[in-house]
Amino acid sequence: MASIELDASGTTQLLLGNEAIARGALEAGIGFAASYPGTPASEIMDTLASIAKRMGIHAEWSVNEKVALEAAAGASFAGIRAIASMKQNGINVASDFLINLTMTGIGKGLILVVADDPGAISSSNEQDSRNICKWMDIPLLEPSNAQEAKDMTKWAFELSEELDTICIIRSVNRVGHTRGNVKLGELPKREQRAYFPNIWNMFEPKLSKFAAGPFPWLHNMLHQKLAKAQQRFESAPFNWYMGPDKAELLIITSGASTACCTEAVKELKLDHKVGIFKLGTTWPIPENLVRKQLSSSQRVLFVEEVDPFIERSVMELAANLPTDSTRLIFYGKRSGHIPSSGELHPDVIINIIAGLMGITYQARDITYEKKAKELSMIIPGRALNLCPGCPHRATFWAVKNALQLDGRDGFVCGDIGCYSLGFAAGGYYQLRTMHAMGSGIGVANGLGNLSKFGFEQPVIAMVGDSTFLHAAIPALINGVYNKSSFILLILDNNATAMTGFQPHPGTGMTATGVPTFHIDIEALCRSLGAHVEVCDPFDLKNTTTTLLRLMAEEGGAKVVIMRRECEMVRAKREKRFPYVVHVDPDICIGEACGCNRVCTRAFQCPGLIYDQEARKATIDEAVCTGCGLCVDICPHGAIIKKVVET
Amino acid sequence: MEVKGCRELFEEVINAGLCTYCGACASGCPYLVSYKGRIVLLDNCDISKGQCYQYCPRTHTDLDTISQQVFGADYSEDGLGTVKEVLIARSTDLHIRERAQYGGVVTTLMSLALEEGFIDSAILAKMSSDKIPSAFLARNKEGILQCAGSNYMACSTLDALNRIAKDSKDKLGIVAMPCQVLSISKMKEDPPLNRMNIGNVSLVIGLFCTWALCRDTFQRFLRENVDLMQVIKFDIPPPPANKFDVYSNSGKISLPLDTIREFIMPTCSYCLDMTAEFADISVGSVEGIEGWNTVLIRTDVGVGLMERAKAKKKLEIGQLPSQNLAHLKEAALLKKKRALKEITKKTGDKKKLLYLGMSESIVDRLLVERSKV
Amino acid sequence: MKKLSKEPLNMLIAGVGGQGNILLSFLIGKALVQQGYFVSVGDTYGASQRGGSVASHVRISEHTCYGSLIPSGHADVILSLEPAETLRMLCQFGNPDVVTITNTRPIYPSDVTSGHAIYPKIVELLKLIEKLSATVIVIEATDEAFKLGNPIFANVILIGALIGSGALPLDKRSLEPILKENFPKEFDANMAAFNKGMKLAGH
Repeated sequence: MASIELDASGTTQLLLGNEAIARGALEAGIGFAASYPGTPASEIMDTLASIAKRMGIHAEWSVNEKVALEAAAGASFAGIRAIASMKQNGINVASDFLINLTMTGIGKGLILVVADDPGAISSSNEQDSRNICKWMDIPLLEPSNAQEAKDMTKWAFELSEELDTICIIRSVNRVGHTRGNVKLGELPKREQRAYFPNIWNMFEPKLSKFAAGPFPWLHNMLHQKLAKAQQRFESAPFNWYMGPDKAELLIITSGASTACCTEAVKELKLDHKVGIFKLGTTWPIPENLVRKQLSSSQRVLFVEEVDPFIERSVMELAANLPTDSTRLIFYGKRSGHIPSSGELHPDVIINIIAGLMGITYQARDITYEKKAKELSMIIPGRALNLCPGCPHRATFWAVKNALQLDGRDGFVCGDIGCYSLGFAAGGYYQLRTMHAMGSGIGVANGLGNLSKFGFEQPVIAMVGDSTFLHAAIPALINGVYNKSSFILLILDNNATAMTGFQPHPGTGMTATGVPTFHIDIEALCRSLGAHVEVCDPFDLKNTTTTLLRLMAEEGGAKVVIMRRECEMVRAKREKRFPYVVHVDPDICIGEACGCNRVCTRAFQCPGLIYDQEARKATIDEAVCTGCGLCVDICPHGAIIKKVVET
Repeated sequence: MEVKGCRELFEEVINAGLCTYCGACASGCPYLVSYKGRIVLLDNCDISKGQCYQYCPRTHTDLDTISQQVFGADYSEDGLGTVKEVLIARSTDLHIRERAQYGGVVTTLMSLALEEGFIDSAILAKMSSDKIPSAFLARNKEGILQCAGSNYMACSTLDALNRIAKDSKDKLGIVAMPCQVLSISKMKEDPPLNRMNIGNVSLVIGLFCTWALCRDTFQRFLRENVDLMQVIKFDIPPPPANKFDVYSNSGKISLPLDTIREFIMPTCSYCLDMTAEFADISVGSVEGIEGWNTVLIRTDVGVGLMERAKAKKKLEIGQLPSQNLAHLKEAALLKKKRALKEITKKTGDKKKLLYLGMSESIVDRLLVERSKV
Repeated sequence: MKKLSKEPLNMLIAGVGGQGNILLSFLIGKALVQQGYFVSVGDTYGASQRGGSVASHVRISEHTCYGSLIPSGHADVILSLEPAETLRMLCQFGNPDVVTITNTRPIYPSDVTSGHAIYPKIVELLKLIEKLSATVIVIEATDEAFKLGNPIFANVILIGALIGSGALPLDKRSLEPILKENFPKEFDANMAAFNKGMKLAGH
């Protein structure tokens, strides 16, 4: 879709927040970008990778976020402005390097963009990554819309160089994934030259700047950098106040909540009574500015996602105000006025402000409201399901059957990817543990070493090809080395599908479309000492039999690579169906079969529907992708597949 | 009987240790499979009245109802059940006798039925080369012959019932254990609507059975003691031998019967039926007379087949010595008594007989401490 | 830049994950920016996509970029690719003045295909949609798209219907260059779909 309009400098374009960040980085003259796919950050690198060649920059999908940050830091050390972007969990992975980096300082400007996911819309957990800045003493910026995302990113590079430290831009799903008007700046045209200056000088040997170590004064130096940051923030263009000089209610807000607060105040017609103090630089907070603002109102409402981060900082500040200052009343997460978890929906914000200002807010006509509530009951919910034709469905079906046949209460330790849906109905509830990336096999390691406690349940771990390369290899090494017993299923669909089909080290293609060495996962696992087999999940019989055999054999670390391409990738490339599938209405006898609708009720491919009127199963030809797997599911042979004539 | 679903089948029968691995439930449903001596449910089925529950020989089974359906009379208190004729027999075909366990009567009768067109195919238990029994659909004499020989293990033979298309006109013969005969009788009483056509079943030959071995554990034990690929035949010689004989190419190995008893399925101790009382013809060994079968003819179908066998000289017929008959009755009666004792011990109430529906008076008489025989 | 009938003008594009509502919102959003409006488009991405209920919030203003989410009850236009989703969005975001443009082709959720829930009859759904809207334009977009050769044309047909309805300050001329830029190879086919949509909306 959109590019970041490289030829449109000076114009206004509709950009995603993430695209705007990419644009801002380009306007700052970066030369190096590294990232790992993760919602809601992926589009930053998707965008940079798409123009990397043309702009003469290096953009890569690193194997994980720690390496991404390390690589970006390396470029920074050698005098190239660099950006590393990742979702919230990525900063957890990169954290050890990050804290060491704060000790050493950087070369040229280095920015880390972390995209949080309030409400965990596309994540396994909800977290507020801003806390890491307080923990690690890192200057923090929060954009509130696409325009600001661009401007802030550009500004952040200057700040980073001025302070000689990495700075963090914390975005959220509603900023990164919202398109807005962005006025584009100029793209610098300059040659960049990389050189790492800290080489050994044999005549005057010195410790390198870039070595963290047992040097406690580095921490002190860092605090001085933070003090300087705070000074800069006092006059940063991203903090503003809008409202009366003396406000009945002062709202302090940041990030995506800003627009919601502005709209709420307008909607409630409280512009003359309620003031909005918006912060864009949120760690360290500009104390003078905040103190000044606190004197304009006695009642303060904090509206932010997810934790009471600014709330706590301001309260700490307020604790040190002169004892004769007016007593402030704070409303926010600590007082229970703002929900302490989840995304802040505009409805919530409007209602809270209305409540605090003693106004009743009616969103719409009461009769309509009542009617709407009634009618909403008849609409069926939409549980998440795997795509029609997805090989994971076949894998889950085979695993489910194999575990039942084995009969020893076996189970699956799951991981993060499209197959995460295996924890719900679409994957037959097979995933019984699921945490972080690579944790499936990690947890399996422990479970596979409990035989001395009478443990006999077969342990299966599941991971995708991309996640395997990203985070699971050390755990496989551990399993072989520490003699754990489990079967690791690597679901190799040759894609990083969940986040948008970014390439990975197993696909043989870089982010910028350059062919490269592709890792042979089979050979890799063998070289680590695991027993390795390969199955096609669509061959249900063979897959089930293989799993049963491996479960029945003696223990050890076993790997089965479930190899079949992601249906979306195949469909895009081949642009046709492998089969035309239909249900023979003469053979399908619906409920009378006694099969209790195996195809639609148990198997649950969205391409199969139960026609309530005809009382038979049928294929939804707008949804079916012609994989033909359901043919093997029908015990009556009512589903027929025919090869598509080319 | 209140027909329930698969969840109750598991609660009341399979997880309660009552499953005989007959295979009836697996035949009637695509979610149930018989696998390595266990019945496995692959997925939840939310049908509240299931065929799996209905035809299981270990859900409520009223013996009078079954007997009325098969014989037109109430359940017989006689040790051997309802019988029209008792005799001994052996095949006139030496080829069959070579392969057979005793007299080869089952193989002969089933093959004859096929030849005469009484049946178009037969379901029997067949042992693989490494002696794992499984259901087999035979369509010719050779196939039936391949199934000759006792395996002493529980085999889910009935799960082949759905291998004939439901609307097929093919007639089916079945060689079945007493529990399987019971299941078939339940099906005949209220025929299944889905997956199986019990109307196809035209001939049921039942086998005498004292107990069956649990396939999975017994197999593992055997593999540790013998090379299964070399085994030709299993046999339990009559008391007082107390042995389990394994015949292989290199000779015979005798294992202590007491060791083998450890692999008896626990559910067998709740079974009353030693002679397959509801079959058309029931066949077993003759104690003390090697190479012959005891044959109990129970129904008109059985009579008809036997007549043909005599007419075509397929069988050599003889009289069962009265001593043997008495002994047989005693053994059968003893099995009923023991079973009832175990059942009432488990339930603590002689009015609660687990799966059995049986006349109270018969129960009382059987539960009397000393047998008056 | 035409004056907006309401400030901000809020449009919801509803559908099922994978139907293409993100592309729709992008094309319409771009056209609006080119006409000089301030636009905010909020989409759902990632795990919520496949088969889940999705909606794009499009907020149009003459002055500023609004927050990406439309407050409940504040939708002015609902454009929907799937009829159950139309009703779902109306229940949350509708009001007595909303203009609704809806496709008729159902996509059955797994709860329905597995027999655990009932999908209301289309006729019934449309009746309820009418009850909750000021104006309803019903477009059999998927069926028309099949006639044009591919169900994916349904989206562009609906754009045509949206423009034809006059609910947005956009006309055919504002969309043509956008469609040309986005579908360089199949421009003619897409314009045919667009025109069909305009016609079906009574333009």
